Amino acid sequence: MREDLSVTALVTRVGEGDQEAWNEIVERYAPLVWSICRRYQLDRADIDDVGQSVWLLLVEHIGSLREAAALPGWLATTTRHECLRVLRAGRRRDHADLPPDEQMPDDPAAATIEQELIEAERNAAIRAALAELPDRCRELISMLISDPPSAYAEISAALGIAVGSIGPIRARCLDRLRQSPHLAGFLTDEAQDVEVKQVGR
Amino acid sequence: MSDRWDDDELVAALREAVRARQAVPPEFVQAGKSAFAWHNIDAELAQLTYDSSRDTLYEPSLRAEAASIRALTFTAPDLVIELEVSDDSLLGQIVPAQRGTVRVQLADGPETAVPADEIGCFAIRPIPSRPFRLYCQTAAGTEALTGWITL
Repeated sequence: MREDLSVTALVTRVGEGDQEAWNEIVERYAPLVWSICRRYQLDRADIDDVGQSVWLLLVEHIGSLREAAALPGWLATTTRHECLRVLRAGRRRDHADLPPDEQMPDDPAAATIEQELIEAERNAAIRAALAELPDRCRELISMLISDPPSAYAEISAALGIAVGSIGPIRARCLDRLRQSPHLAGFLTDEAQDVEVKQVGR
Repeated sequence: MSDRWDDDELVAALREAVRARQAVPPEFVQAGKSAFAWHNIDAELAQLTYDSSRDTLYEPSLRAEAASIRALTFTAPDLVIELEVSDDSLLGQIVPAQRGTVRVQLADGPETAVPADEIGCFAIRPIPSRPFRLYCQTAAGTEALTGWITL
């Protein structure tokens, strides 16, 4: 049987001291933490500082999250707070002579962070679904989405399938991806709108 | 379903999902995984019950003048740890006042220890520049561990 890789299952396993489940959570959501730091235009040293604080805080608080599904939102909020902390500390160092209100860093609108959260959750779901596809499908899709995309002739040579079969196989693999439980609720424009309303409050 | 993503939209979404992951440096992800070494610490956890900087975070216009001195309070069942950040040091007091030892644990490094005097006062110099936590042991045998602190 496949392991249950839902956030809820991962959080439960982390509570039991499972390093693998913790690693999976970090793999899945490091891009969220990273992209929010980039929104605040932090330099690399500050991003590392924020990252370390966020993951340490998560280690400490993961057992007391009321609902495991709230984890991505908790990470986004905590990352934002930590970014502001780092920026404030930096401004105080650099502009100690300015009045305190001018030392306050710019804060990208909360809506921008919510948007990062929505995109990061969708991306994480898509990667989780992709990881569970059969190897052949994953290889084909990897070549199709590479930058620049591989030509059909290259794909044909690399994977040993006829050029004429690539289109139908691509369609089958994408269909399979759509059926992944990870993507339930993510694949329609309607689902997107609903999500914005819920998260945006 | 007409509004379901078509193949091209799905491929575009896949490309974006993979790109977003590849933009993150491997060391950044690895550091996150390593943080798990700090789970499951046995000592009584002292919860952060007051942080002057969080006040200023939420109400910058009201409390901005207090931003230069940061004060933190950690509360454990049997004792309270008060901290104040000064220019070059971190001053603290164990309440109720008593002798003890305060160990400074860095997330990624060695540990140092400072004594707390008979009224529970201790000083940490220099101020740690990376996340750290304090592990207090009083002469009477009470122990408390703070959450992670970043200054």
